[in-house]
Formats: sequence, C-alpha cells, structure tokens
Amino acid sequence: MHSKSTPDNTSTESNTTRRNFLSRVSLSTIPLALAFANEQPLSAKPVKPDLGPRNFDLAAKNSHQSGTATAMISMFMQGGPSQVDLMDPKPLLNKMHLQKFPEKIKYDNAAEASSRIFGTPWKFKQYGKSGTAISELLPGLSEIVDDVLVIRSMHTGVNNHGQSIHAMNSGRIQEGRPALGSWVTYALGSETRELPAYVAMTDPKGLPVLGVLNWSNGWLPSLYQGTVIRPVEPRILNLNPPAALRGKTQDNFLSLLRQLNGQHHQRRNRELELDARRTNLELATRMQSAAAAALDISKETKATHEMYGINNPVTEEFGKRCLIARRLVERGVRFVQLFTKNQYWDHHGSIQTRLPASCQKIDIPAAALVKDLKQRGMLDSTVVHWGGEMGRLPVIQNDSETKNFGRDHNTYGFSMWVAGGGFKQGGTYGVTDEFGHRAIENIVNHYDYHATLFHLFGLDAETVTYKQNGREQSLLDGQAGKIIPDLLT
Amino acid sequence: MMLPMRRVLYCTLLLGFLYPSQSVRLVAQTSKSANVSYEKDVRPIFKTHCFQCHGESNVIEGGLDLRLNRFIQKGGENGPATIAGDHKNSLVWQRVSSGEMPPEDSHLSPQEIRIIEQWIQLGAKNLNTEPESLDNNTYFTQAELDFWAFQPIKKPTLPTINDSTLARSPIDYFILQRLQDANLSPATAADKTTLLRRLTYDLLGLPPTLQQMKRFLANNSPDAYEQLVDELLISPRYGERWGRHWLDVAGYADSEGYTDKDIKREWAYYYRDYVVNAFNQNKPYDQFLVEQLAGDELIQSPLSDLQPADVTLLQATGFLRMAPDGTGQAGVEQMVARNQMIADTINIMTTSILGLTVGCAQCHDHRYDPISQKDYYELRAILAPALDWKKWQVPSTRRISLYTDEDRQQKTEIESRAVIATAKRQKQVDQHLDRTLTEELIRVPDQVRDALRAAYKTKSDQRTDKQKALLEEYPAIGKIPSGSLYLYSRKRAARAVELTKIVDAREQEILEQARDKFLNNLPQEQRTILTAAQQTKPEQRTLEQNALLKEAPVMLADYATLAQFNPTAAATIKANRQIIEICRTTNSTEQLETMQKQVDAIRAEIPKEHFIRALTEPVDHAPDTVLFIRGNHDTPGDKVNPSELDIFAQFIATNIPLKGVAQQTTNRRLTYAQHLTNGKHPLTARVFVNSVWKHHFGRGIVNSSGDFGVLGQMPTHPELLDYLASEFMDNDWDIKQLHRLIVTSSTYRQISQRTETLDEVDPDNKLLARQSIRRLESEAFRDAVLAVSGLLNNKMHGPGIPVMEDGVGQIVLGIEKLDGERINKATGNLGGEEHRRSVYIEVRRTRPLAVLATFDIATNAPNCTKRASSNVAPQSLLIMNSDFMVEYSQAFAGHIIKQSNDSLEDQIQLAWKTTYAELPSTENLQALLTFMDTQIKQFKTEDADLDDQVAHRKAFEVLCQALLGSNQFLYID
Repeated sequence: MHSKSTPDNTSTESNTTRRNFLSRVSLSTIPLALAFANEQPLSAKPVKPDLGPRNFDLAAKNSHQSGTATAMISMFMQGGPSQVDLMDPKPLLNKMHLQKFPEKIKYDNAAEASSRIFGTPWKFKQYGKSGTAISELLPGLSEIVDDVLVIRSMHTGVNNHGQSIHAMNSGRIQEGRPALGSWVTYALGSETRELPAYVAMTDPKGLPVLGVLNWSNGWLPSLYQGTVIRPVEPRILNLNPPAALRGKTQDNFLSLLRQLNGQHHQRRNRELELDARRTNLELATRMQSAAAAALDISKETKATHEMYGINNPVTEEFGKRCLIARRLVERGVRFVQLFTKNQYWDHHGSIQTRLPASCQKIDIPAAALVKDLKQRGMLDSTVVHWGGEMGRLPVIQNDSETKNFGRDHNTYGFSMWVAGGGFKQGGTYGVTDEFGHRAIENIVNHYDYHATLFHLFGLDAETVTYKQNGREQSLLDGQAGKIIPDLLT
Repeated sequence: MMLPMRRVLYCTLLLGFLYPSQSVRLVAQTSKSANVSYEKDVRPIFKTHCFQCHGESNVIEGGLDLRLNRFIQKGGENGPATIAGDHKNSLVWQRVSSGEMPPEDSHLSPQEIRIIEQWIQLGAKNLNTEPESLDNNTYFTQAELDFWAFQPIKKPTLPTINDSTLARSPIDYFILQRLQDANLSPATAADKTTLLRRLTYDLLGLPPTLQQMKRFLANNSPDAYEQLVDELLISPRYGERWGRHWLDVAGYADSEGYTDKDIKREWAYYYRDYVVNAFNQNKPYDQFLVEQLAGDELIQSPLSDLQPADVTLLQATGFLRMAPDGTGQAGVEQMVARNQMIADTINIMTTSILGLTVGCAQCHDHRYDPISQKDYYELRAILAPALDWKKWQVPSTRRISLYTDEDRQQKTEIESRAVIATAKRQKQVDQHLDRTLTEELIRVPDQVRDALRAAYKTKSDQRTDKQKALLEEYPAIGKIPSGSLYLYSRKRAARAVELTKIVDAREQEILEQARDKFLNNLPQEQRTILTAAQQTKPEQRTLEQNALLKEAPVMLADYATLAQFNPTAAATIKANRQIIEICRTTNSTEQLETMQKQVDAIRAEIPKEHFIRALTEPVDHAPDTVLFIRGNHDTPGDKVNPSELDIFAQFIATNIPLKGVAQQTTNRRLTYAQHLTNGKHPLTARVFVNSVWKHHFGRGIVNSSGDFGVLGQMPTHPELLDYLASEFMDNDWDIKQLHRLIVTSSTYRQISQRTETLDEVDPDNKLLARQSIRRLESEAFRDAVLAVSGLLNNKMHGPGIPVMEDGVGQIVLGIEKLDGERINKATGNLGGEEHRRSVYIEVRRTRPLAVLATFDIATNAPNCTKRASSNVAPQSLLIMNSDFMVEYSQAFAGHIIKQSNDSLEDQIQLAWKTTYAELPSTENLQALLTFMDTQIKQFKTEDADLDDQVAHRKAFEVLCQALLGSNQFLYID
C-alpha cells in the first residue's frame, strides 16, 4: 500500500538536494508533535523483531479506489450524550414516566440504580426537508439537519467509557491499538509539509477519559501519532514559541543563533552537515510560522466569528476550536479530532441542568462548522462526525428528587451524526426499541461505521494493514464490519 | 510456523536492500581478472540467489544442485546446466537471462548475468579441486576461508615513514604511511582548548569544567596533555560514558519489548550498574566478557545466600538477558517467543563480540559469510542448557533474589501481622455491607421489605424467579457488592437526610395508628373531646383538657414514649435511626481506606526484596539441540553438538563440553568465553578495539562495526587494526591503556578542518589526514546542557529515572500515576533525580525520552552496533521552543549570574567559556552585547513596566539558549 505514493507532490525544496542525510532519520526518533510530511525516513529500524526494514512517511498517497472524502473532523463527545433527550425521541417514555421499566437492564452505578422510566423533559420537533426530529436542546443541529445523517442505532456493547472509547476510536475494545486518525494518516499520508498530519485538539478543562491513548499510534510507527494542539500556549509543543520568545523577541533570538552558527561555520565552511543544520533551522522557522498562521483566527470575518459563537462567552472556546479545525483541514491536515473535557456528557445526575449546559457550549459551533465547510465547498470532501462512546438509559438514575435525576450508561443503542465526505445528506438511519434502549433495526456496530468511513476515503478497512506480532493487522481486525450503502450518498 | 516465515522475509528484504553494493563489488572483481572462476565469481551469485532451492538442506529442485561445478556440469532433470564455451546453449544461462530463474521478483542483475556468461564462455572452470562429497559438511571455498577477518591476528612491525618526527605513537606510523602513499600530509595539532573539549567529551561525555580548563591551560609541562588524559580516565563519569557505549551493543533496555505492552523490566539496572562499574574499575576486557557470558558458572556461594562478589558475577550475566523477551506476557505464542528471545540473544552476542551477522544463518547457510546453518545451531547449543526453549522459565520466576536468610525470617513475622489486620478490615467491610442493606431496605415499601431481605440473602443461584424479579425491580439492593461500597458512601449526608425523612414519616404513621387504635375503642363523643384536646397547643389547653389527656397518655405519645404503646415498631425505628446515624457520621470509604493503609504500613516494614535479572543454568542439565529446518522450530532436523563456528575452529581447537561434572553446570558457556578471550580468536580483540577507535574518530577502521563479514566494509588500515588488537591483548586487555594509546597519538590530536585537497581525495576522512567534526550523541547533548546549567546531579547507580507520557503524549521524566480513567495525576517532581545523567534514565523500548529520541538513540531491536546521527528540522524546533531548552537555559543564566559580578561583559565571557571551553573573540563579545541591548529594549517595548533587572535576566536567558542551541555547542571539533 505504501508503494502507491505520489512522490512528486511533496518533494520540493532543499531536502531533495545533494544532502540526502537531511532525510536520514529513524522513525523512533521523531518526537511527538513533530511528525511532518517532509521527514521522510530512509530506513526505518524495526522496533519489533518482525518488522524488517520498511520505509514510512507522510507523503500524500492515493487510496485504493477513488474516495469521496479526503479529510475528517471528528467532534468526540466524551461521556455519552443522551440520545433519548437529543436526537432519538421516544414518546412512550413520557407516557410511562416513573413507571417500572419492563425489561432487563445493565447499570454502571448500582447505588443509584432505579428501574423507573424517565420521560424526556424536552420537546422534539421535526426540521428541514428531511423532517428529522431534533430536541429543543440542539437548535444548531436543527438548522443543518438536511446536511447531516443521524445514526440512531450505534452499538459497541461494552458498558464502560474506556472500552467503548477504544471501540469507537480505535476499532476494538482492547487497549493499545492505533487510533482512527493514525490509520487514516498511515493509509493516506498528509497534504501538508508544514503542519502535522493528524491533530488532536483538547479541552482547556482537561483530557478525556483514556487521556493520551485517544490519539495514540498504538503499534503503528510514531510518525502516525496525533499531535496535540493544546488549549493553552504554547499551543503545539515545540512548534509554538515559549512565552518569552514570541514575535520580535524570537526574531532576535533566531538572528543571534544564525549569527553564532554563521561565525562557527566560517571556520568550517566545508562541513555540509553544518550547512544542513542551518537549513533545518530555517525550515523549522517556516513550520513554526505555518502553525502560527493556522492558529491565528483574527483575520476571519466578523460574520464567521459570530457564526461559530466566538462572540459569546459560552460558545467561544469550542467555537474557536471548530474554526481552527476548519483552517487546519483547509491547509491540508488529514485528520482533526476535537475532544470535550473529561466526562463532559456523562450525566449520571442532574441531567436537567447539565445536559442543556453541555449542549449550549457545543451545539452552535458544531453546526457552524458544517455550514462553514459547506459554504466553502469543503463539505463534500470533509467528513464531519459528532458523537461519543455511548448513550444513556431510559430509566432514572439517582431516584430521589426530580432535580437530581440522571441517566446511566448505555452502549446498546445510541445516536451520533455524520455529515459530508460522501455521507448521506439528511435523514436518519437505524432504529432503537420503543424505549430507546437497544438498537433493533439496521444496527451500526463500531466496526460497520469504520468500514463505511474507510470506504468514503477510498480505503478498504480490511486491507489497509500493518504487520504486527507476526500478522497483518487492520482497523477491523477480523470483526465483520460491513460497508453500509444506506449511509452513503 | 509464523516466525520462520518472517525470518525469511526479513533476510530477503535485507539482502535486497544491500544488493547494489554487492554487484558493484563483483563488477570490480571481474574487470580486474580475465580468469572468471566458479569459486570466486559465480558461486557467490548462486549462493545468494539459488542454493536455497538447488542444493541446500537437501532441497534439490529439478534435480539440479548448484553447489559444486561438478554437479552443475552433470546437471539436473533437463540435462547438463552448462556447455563450456557456449553460454547461449547453457540451460543455467538461459534460465537466468530470461528472468525465469530465480522465480518471483528477485532476478539477477545484468552484471551478474554477464559474469555467468563470461564464466561459461571461458570454459566454466573451477580453481581448486572440489570436495568428494557435501553430505555431512558444509563446503566453503578457499576464497571464503581466506577472507581477512577470519585470519589470525599477527602483530605487524611498524611501517617506515619518511618523517618520524611527525609520529608520537605507533598508531601514527600506520596512518602516516598511508598518507605518504597518497601524497598527503597530516594536519597540524589542534590547540589546547580544542583538545581539552574533544578529549573531555570523548572520555566523559561532558564538557570540561572551568576548573579543568584553568588547570589544563595553566599547565605548561610537556606532558600536560597526558596528565589530562589520566585525570579524565579516573573520573567516575568515564564509566558512565563508555558503559553507555557498551550498553548500545548489549541492547540494554528496562522493558521487555516483543509486544506493544512493552512491560517494565524492573531489575535490569543491576546489569547497567555492572557495566558502568566495570569500565570505571578498568576491568580487563577478557574478564568482562567471561563474566557476562558465564558469570553464573564462576560463583561460589549458594544462590539463596549470595556473597557480594558473586552478586557482581550474576549481575554480569544480565548481558544474556537483554534481548526483547515476550515470554512473560499473556497472549503470546510461547514457543515462538522463546525461540525469538534465543535468536535475539545470539544476535546480540555475535554482533557485539564477534562483529558478525551470525543470525543470518538461522534459517539457511549464511548467504555471504562462511557460516553454515549447522554452525548457527552449534553455537546455539552453547546457550541451550541455560536457554532451553522446552524447559523455560519466564522473567518473573527466573530472577535471582538478593534476600538473605535473615530477611526471609523477618518477612514471615511481619506478614503474619498483616494477615491479622486484613481479617479485621474484612470484618468491617461485612458490617458496612449489612448496614447498607438495612439502609436500602428502609427506602422500600413495608410489604416488600422482608421479601427483599430474604431474596438478597439467598445465594444467587438458589433464588426463585420471584426473588430475581424483585431484586431487578429494586436494583439498588440487588447490586450491593463489596467492591462498590464507595458508591453508597459517596453522598452519605444527603442519604442520611433522605432516610431520616422516611423514618420520621413512618414514626408519625405508627403514632397515629396507636392513637387511632385507642380512640376507636371509645364512644364518638369522647373521641371528639380527646382529639380536640390533643390538637390544642399545649399552652392554650384548659385544666380539664390536661386532666383528660393525662388519663389517655397515648394521645400525647411521641418518639420518646412510643415504646410504651408499640414496642416492636419503636425498636425498629430506633434501630433504623442508629443505622442512619452511622451512615451520617461514618465515612466508610475513609475508614476502610485507613484500615487498608494500616495493612499496607505493616507490609511496608518488610525489607524490600531486590532481584537480579540474571542468567543461570540448572545443574546436570544438558538438553539436546537440533537444527531447525528453515529456522522453524516445528521442523526439527539433525542433532548438533555445542561448538564454535567452523571458520574459527579451524585455527583454534575448541572443545565445548557436552556435559559438566555431576552436580555442576555444563561449563559450555564458560569454555566458549575462555576460548573467545584466549588471545587467538581473530575477532574478539579486533572488534572491540575497532569500536573504541570509532568513538574517538567518528568512524571505525572497519566502518561497519557490527559486520566484519563479506558484506561489511574492509578495514581502512588493516595493519593498524591488528597492531591495536595485539597491543590490547599484550596489555592484558586493558581498556584504559587502549584509550591512552589512541588519544595520545598525533593522529587523534590533529585539527578537524577540511581542505579543498582533502575533500577531493578523501571526503570521508578514511585516511585520517585530519580529525573529524562530530555531533554530540543525544546523551552527551542532554548531559552537557545539564552540566553547564549547574544542575547536573552526579548520583550513580540504582533504578532508572522513570519516564512517563505527559498530557500530550510526549515522553518526559516523571512518575506516572494513572487514575481509573488513565488521566495522569503525576506531579513530575523527582526531587533532583531529573537532573541525573542520561545513562540512568529508564530505557523503555516504546517510550524513548523525547529530548534523547530527537537526537538519535540506540535502537534496541535487539541491539545497536552503530547509531544514526540524523539532522532534521525537529531538532531545530526542540532547540527553539522546547520546555527542556527553555528551562535549562533559565537555569544556566541564573548559574552564570550567580557566579559573576554585575558586569554584563563578564557574564557573557563566563557563559561563553562555560559553553564552548574557549574565550569569545572581540566580535563574538560585541555581537552578544548588541543582542542584549536589542533584546532588553524589545522586552521593555512590550512591557513598559518591566523592571530593568528582570528585563536583563530575561534577555540573558535567551542569550544562553542561543549558546546552548548553537552548532558550536552541538559539535566537537
């Protein structure tokens, strides 16, 4: 698969000159945050005994077939948004509110478990031409329903956060496998030399459950690890200058460094290695400004700022991240994943105040991203994903006072939405039972979603493989993932 | 089955990768000689591409055996393969030139086909008489046996040179002679400051200190340099520097590797400390090798009560335990993992000590070197009693405890106390479970309470359907498990309030029931009067009312008097209230945690048991070794006996014992180690002196330091290599003496500057008409930054400084404390440990420290005989923007300011001297002063309120960062 690279679209500039040692780097030496397309290792030393010498790089590659998608932005709603309160209306719950739930149920928190049904406190209405029913909590989503497909029958079947995140984001419930973004960049490389191929954007309030495993390359070469754009300065480690060295002060620093290296070189002017190192300093400087430019949203129009809710303190933070995500994809970044803070959607209690708060922060910016991509003609080639690792139960958790009511975990039937890149526009797919508890029709397992997603990128999720522990491993890893035609345009 | 296939693939890839250089060599050979022979020219091609199917391991496809010219002439099923003088009608030429053979992708190159053509045209001859049979022995041609690296070492006489005044040491004679032949002159000697810096980094991996610099520059005695060499060689920093070089070839790691779990190897550091100490103690290299290969066969004391000297010997055997080892991990195929560990150990042993790629003979005869597959398994047989794949011990069970008998006794006593404390805690857990059940039962309706209690108490497999359904309806009861007690205790105050409300209501209900019962027995009229009296506020009651009520006390019954009217209910309510009180006041989570801590505290008194990751051999254990056909352990071949490789056995007789004396180990490894170090082995000394040379000059005399075989590079100075090897052995394998010999030579002391002439004639500096500029290795770079900033902590030995993933997945120093959600709660404060030298940082295969990995580290899959030295933009980014550079630059600036007066010029001078071990030129000084001026102004422009001193300090920190990030700091002249 690596052999299908298109060599000419990345090899410009100085590293194709006589100094081939510029590109001499072993894979294990590429530190996090610095995996760029221009670092093309000549010979990768195997980390495991069975790898043999293989070459890996981030040069853009053609996919197996022509795909519709070339990039992806995933908004990962960690914690598990409540499907029955947001995008999977179940009138029966309201009819049977507070009555005993008639079926078997699996709880996460026994101490607060209850078998009484909890009808949704919010109103649903149908929107758009497609008439998709959306909760009043998501006014943003209701405006873009005709561009998105709501999948109501997601299923991972493991009732805790960690395992279900692994399933959704790295294909299997086990730890240690490469994240979705790693697979996509491994298969397709990157369209940019000056920005990381795969970016993870974290919330200022902290990391999601599983921390850095969310963007781990697993056993793929470290080149394919997600680079974190941090919510605070320096936003990209080693790629953004430290606090004392911004702008002019860093210019002064760099010119001093150039001067020192220049003087040093005068007496050693035949050392090509020193030449190369000076060239690398300039390349590094360019990378730094490319990153700074991508992160600088000040030149975006007022209308754009408003659309993403950047003028509103509630939506400002997530709005900025969504806007930056668009700017990254615009510049050739292959895969961007935005994470909400630790357990942001894990509403075990007080769901009636906490769920609206979560929605208020996320909904408008998320919808703006889709609108913005669409108006720029980027939506057709950019997959947008919004969803978490689970949904929630139809029964009450914390059955004391009404205001304390929450909902416990549910991975047997939950909802998420996708848009762009070849996903079907408008409508819903899949059905849960009349309580919104279990997916019963057109079930979409995590591996079905992944097979379909890879298909949109022109990839086959079973044949994009990497040899590990003596066997060719894939994202699906033998699970019977199927491409679901009804999800496609 | 999988593994050997991987091996074949790996070797094929490797060969494909190396292929071009081979064909170049072949072309060069044929153009020189018009006599094309089977042995010299054709056989290497057939051996590489064809033997596997045409001759080797009894595979003779199409009946054609290509291993002897005689066989070729005879041919296979289709008749003779060659017709002398007529290549076009020779089958072998037809098959290879059409691309039909070899099958699949690996065709012969046009040059190779041309050699075969020429050979046939010239008569298809062989040089020597061919052996009668190949049945039992692998046949190597004289040309293969004559290869330089397999010849005995002979100490050469010094060559004559024109100007012997240029020579300081015997080394220089060999170098000058080659230069003379090439019409080149050596470079001049470097100045004292250059030499000081070069030597200090070479020997210690650190920059010279200001004191060292002052002392050396002030020392005008003729042997000032030699004094410096001696001074540096006795520094403990020397062992850390050169120990690390050895750890590269030994494949040192603090984790097991093999799978991505890469579990930690807790006790590997005892081997690292052994190596550091061995270099510092100047342990003779022969002894160093013997201890590493067979230390366990030398110990005197019993394993259960080891003497210190024997502990050292066992530490040494960690060498044979460094390979990736998956055998202690779940889910791996054991037999594959074991054989892989053995294969990797053989790779480490042979590349590090012999400089040979013996591992290529695991599946088939070595494609290039005269090493047969049988050789490989004979060598493996030497390790077999200790590494027996059929009788294997996993890492956790084979480690050797350093516990003494006294330690053991103490442990037993403490453990018995811990057991008592644990039982006490369990009792408490049970009480809390019982109470929690009662609490939960308070909440349920009266009519189901008893049924629920009974259902809960019934074992789950004996519950009736009704009970099951009941528990499902009340999941908070059904699911009370001991592991989740904390869930019930989490909101205990609110819980108590809620339960109290229920009990209050119930009490009220019972009181009313009691009153109703009493009133129901009275006539209507009295009922009304009494009820009115009871409902009147006490202070407004009439005397009559009071009297009436006194007669009917139940009318005023409250919680205090309830027992008089309904003792059963009162008792239940009282008990409930007590339980609620316990719920409200008792933090069971905390209580149980405290009790657990008490248990832990008792156990903490147990003396910490240390272990060594050693290799030991069971006594009286001599398992058979068989050859694995195609390297596959599922297809065993003939039995082999332990032996040295045939190629060496031809010069030095060895007799590796099959069995030891009774109650002893076999002594196979000890005998082999003694054989390697008996002074006659062609490679042991050559390989080691070459690696020492490499670290002093940037390239080895044999540049492929891990491969002295046919595919490796030829020595640039073969006589010099033999001279050094002989001298080294004559000096009883004295490593420090070897350093002295090398670094005191004129060759070493030359300046490194390139010239136009030299760049034309010898761009790679093979002839050494100058020294070479070298980049600091990653460890030296990090250690140097720590040293100049004044923070370097010289603490030696012990467990590795831990590495962890920080919040963005970068590998940094710190103790990882992952919570249940894998969020790292580490503080990162290591109490000064973070400033220790890099050799003490944990080497986790999948977690290389970011700052080291960026500047290239030793590969450990399984070991590293030659490090990469990359030159990439991420290194510049690290220098510009990393926390590492910023933090240490700040420390460096502070360190300089503290040591100097307020004069900026002095500060700059001192910083320059500390960084580069030289004084700045006037221009340098001026440039830095100008920078400070500009930068201070800039800081003040950005923040008008900035204090002068702060602005100065900030600017100076940036200046320090530029010094540390400059090429002059990163490179040694």
